[in-house]
Amino acid sequence: MISYKERTLPNGLRVLVNEDEVSQMAAVNILYEVGSRDEEPNHTGFAHLFEHLMFRGTERVPDFDVPVQEVCGENNAFTSADYTNYYITTPKDNFETALWLEADRLMGLDITPEKLALEKSVVIEEFNQRFLNRPYGEQWHALREMVYTRHPYRWPVIGLTPDHIRNATLEQVRDFYNRFYVPSNAILSVSAALPAEQLFEAAERYFGALPLRPRPERTTIEEPEILAPRRRTIEAAVPADQITIAFLIGERGCRDYYLADLLTDLLAGGESARIYQHLVKERRLFSAANAYITGETDRGLLILTGQISPEVDVEEAEEALYGELELLVREPVGDYELRKVQNKFEANITFGELNVMNKAMNLGYYKMLGDMALLNGEVDIYRSITPEEVADFIRRRLNPTQSATLIYLAK
Amino acid sequence: MTIRRPEIKPVSLPAIPHYRVIRTEAGTPLYTLHNSTQGVVRVSFVFRAGTSTQSIPFTASTVVNTLSEGTTLHSGKEIAEALDFVGSYYDANIDRDWAVVTFCSLKKFVGPTLDVAEEVVLHPTFPEREIASYCAKRKEQLHIQRSKPDQLSRELFGKALFGPEHPYGVTSPEECYDNITPEILRQFYQSHYNASESFAIICGDFGEAEESRVLSILEGLPAGSCTGCNIPEPTPTPLATLCLEGAVQSSLKLGIPLFPRTHPDFIPMQIIATAMGGYFGSRLMQNLREEHGYTYGAYAAMINLDKAGYFVMSADVAADHTEEAVAEMFAEMERMASEPMDEEELSIVRKIIVGDVIRIFDGPFGAADVTIENIQNGEQNDYTERFMERVATITAKELQEVASKYLKKNRTTVTIVGPER
Repeated sequence: MISYKERTLPNGLRVLVNEDEVSQMAAVNILYEVGSRDEEPNHTGFAHLFEHLMFRGTERVPDFDVPVQEVCGENNAFTSADYTNYYITTPKDNFETALWLEADRLMGLDITPEKLALEKSVVIEEFNQRFLNRPYGEQWHALREMVYTRHPYRWPVIGLTPDHIRNATLEQVRDFYNRFYVPSNAILSVSAALPAEQLFEAAERYFGALPLRPRPERTTIEEPEILAPRRRTIEAAVPADQITIAFLIGERGCRDYYLADLLTDLLAGGESARIYQHLVKERRLFSAANAYITGETDRGLLILTGQISPEVDVEEAEEALYGELELLVREPVGDYELRKVQNKFEANITFGELNVMNKAMNLGYYKMLGDMALLNGEVDIYRSITPEEVADFIRRRLNPTQSATLIYLAK
Repeated sequence: MTIRRPEIKPVSLPAIPHYRVIRTEAGTPLYTLHNSTQGVVRVSFVFRAGTSTQSIPFTASTVVNTLSEGTTLHSGKEIAEALDFVGSYYDANIDRDWAVVTFCSLKKFVGPTLDVAEEVVLHPTFPEREIASYCAKRKEQLHIQRSKPDQLSRELFGKALFGPEHPYGVTSPEECYDNITPEILRQFYQSHYNASESFAIICGDFGEAEESRVLSILEGLPAGSCTGCNIPEPTPTPLATLCLEGAVQSSLKLGIPLFPRTHPDFIPMQIIATAMGGYFGSRLMQNLREEHGYTYGAYAAMINLDKAGYFVMSADVAADHTEEAVAEMFAEMERMASEPMDEEELSIVRKIIVGDVIRIFDGPFGAADVTIENIQNGEQNDYTERFMERVATITAKELQEVASKYLKKNRTTVTIVGPER
């Protein structure tokens, strides 16, 4: 349970604060509603490259990290398809340093051609390290391309190819910054064991002088349903065959989203879950298997995946995954098992709220979703799900005809 | 438009929590760290049963990972069900020296969680079927892991730094999993999971009842003798390479065998490692990432094992710049050894370390991790206070003297996993 207060500054910056009770640390989080979905198809990977550039200094603060380090702080950031998130933790008495730094880089960056060139090579090495220089590294590129025909979720956050990053120009950097990095497109959230009024007052002091600028509009592109099975097989130098089945699910917050999330927990949430017990341990069809949802705000994916044991056919492995879905239709999940995954949601939320950073991040994320009731209300949603609903969801949404399947065969 | 920079308020060090110790009749200690603020409890059991204590490959890790695969009362599935039902976490962890099993639960579910803990720690049966399944799965997973540069790099480095047969460096072929039997596991369990070289710690929001419950679990451990094993001197190789066809990066590691945490120069070397590659503004990050763009990340650390320790630097670099990157890493070593760092840098490094310590102690469980490490090293929690004191008072001159003693190119082992060049 995260308590919070919120205000909106005249320039449109949304500010949320949580009064922690015990922590010596303060967390300052700022979320910008821009992600890889806002990119042009021929300039992918830009939002993430831009996130890196946000650490390249301003005229007033040439090195972003130094003031953070001077107050024993720590900072980092990540980019997703839907948003870009920056956070700084500091000992609580020094939280204003974090506000000052975030306000400063919202006032203007100092990006030179040299800095851009350098950051591009760092990001290309990140591309290499995480996607090219490892087995199955390009699976997300392949899978997203199969599922999404129109929606910009078609490309991963890192971008379609290192060439798009190589081609980024200073002018694009400027335009992107001016369009998306404005107070009205940002959510500032703070969690600290300090009075809410003090946190609001400081937020206003550092961010209040920033001018009001228009909030960029975001158009939602409907991704059409998958109507016939899509399938691709890649032969590659991978250590084991692998199957990944993807289904389009509903957007974040709709009933189907929670059904998908709970279903994947029945299948793969913990040691006792079905896929692990049945397919990994009992039948030994997979050496590892998993089920999860990808969690975007528009229509995301439900993924069933596993690395197939040697001597097991891909067909048998695939049938077994569908078999687990059919079983849940034939014999709807019992009360005990349903309660187990619901309890787990509750425990995970408690464990997840133990530190100020997670709390500040959650405040920003749920504000972005636009329904603050969800911040503390999702356990009740999970608790309200019935076995029949899960079965019905599988019947409606998880048929082979609605799937995109990516198979890796070991060469 | 400018906004004034806020003044820097002095950062106070966290109070290092001091534990209480209760002992079983056999003398096995239970350390208790009470912190009632967040409604969660964590219990860890620590055994001197790391991989360096095994004579048959994969025995130690298989034992700790399959403790929960079946007990005299319940099947592995029932145990997993019981923990998942109350949302408790169970974690089995192993390093070269120690095996640790940890249970985390909400305060209201600590009872059923400790019921499971008792069975897992005291009455594992290593059922044949489960063990076969585990070994087959791990064998496949290890095979998969060994196609990844980071795993290959770690293994190559261990072998090159300590020697291919050294207990701290050895790696074994996947096929060795075929030789594991329940009997082998039971023998290892009986000889290593005993009252004489183990301890437990309870941390978080618990009461006397939970304390005595954990103590009674420890009471159930069989008496045993110290299994102490001989750790020979390392026999390092200067250069080892592994060719990975088609790789676009080279995984580099540079290491120097030194000493464990008990050595007086360990803390200075930790500070040096932090300056070198322990934070974003560190020398290696500045050089390899920020100046040259060779890499996404470069790191350095001082690693502590029970009977050894080493300094290590690592980075995954663009394959075309492998030689330059290695040369820059050596140059940074040389610079550290030949010039004292300026006060500004030393001050930042101190703050990085203080910040790390504050963050560790900030959660409900961080104090448990620190305590476990201190106890493993034969220290108490005042070690952490002395550590902070040393960090605060050491001079740049002293650090340079230490660096010049140990950061020597001719004592360095270099490993490279990458494309043919």
